[in-house]
Amino acid sequence: MDFVFDYISVNTFWTILSIVHALLAVALLGALTHQAAAVFAPPRAGNTGGFVTHFRSVSGPRYATAVCVLWVLTFILGGWIYAKYRIYVRIPIEQEGFFKTLGAFELKEHLTTIGLGLLPFYWHLWKNARNAATDRARKWLTVVLAAICWYAFLTGHVVNNTRGFGL
Amino acid sequence: MNTSNQTATPPSSRFGTFALVFGICFAILYVVCDMAALPMFTYHPGTDRIDPGFARARPDEGPAMYWYGWIASAALGASILGGLAALLPENIRSKIPLALAWIVPVVLLPVLIYSLKFYWRWE
Repeated sequence: MDFVFDYISVNTFWTILSIVHALLAVALLGALTHQAAAVFAPPRAGNTGGFVTHFRSVSGPRYATAVCVLWVLTFILGGWIYAKYRIYVRIPIEQEGFFKTLGAFELKEHLTTIGLGLLPFYWHLWKNARNAATDRARKWLTVVLAAICWYAFLTGHVVNNTRGFGL
Repeated sequence: MNTSNQTATPPSSRFGTFALVFGICFAILYVVCDMAALPMFTYHPGTDRIDPGFARARPDEGPAMYWYGWIASAALGASILGGLAALLPENIRSKIPLALAWIVPVVLLPVLIYSLKFYWRWE
């Protein structure tokens, strides 16, 4: 990867990675939130409704593969950045004494990893969405993954605000 | 609504069983590896060195990272258990509750929060 640094600075490189990581997370958050809303509170039949009705009227199965791909990509980028975070972000935050911020970030790391392991079954459930016997598992697994995604997104945002770019 | 059907109906394929057991075991094994310090390897980001198993940070070489090693340990264990579960006969596979896929992570949440008690300081 060193050839990249002939063209951009090290700080710019890691900043670009962080931003791409965040953008992928935004896409994942949107997809999972739509899907969770559709499965948790589906629109009533015949309700043409407004924004909320349309928000939850998406076809859940169409989102499943995209959610898995986005989760994996976001995770890989996050895992790459994490090594840099460990030295250049976490240590200064420790020195500032923001331990609850660090703890929240550690929890994010654990939850997103557990979510990663659940993706194969999540994908399987959505690819067999016509099987009504799995409705409940599909619904709650999607809601759990959406909750993890929201927590991870907000925590990442807070940590970024705590330390910022240009490290 | 018959909830007993929804919690006990089997995944329709061996892949479904593998995925279900993998997800459940991966979550549990990951937490066990974290709390028992059982990474497959340790990464030292300051020096880009990888040590097998658990290795403490060395003086003047920066921190040691275990997260990657926990993932590898959990993935290996969960793959083995998931593969074994997929080989089980249908009548046994069908008894694995699907609800465990989302209940296990929810149950593990307080365990994870407790494991991070070092960080929850009120000062």
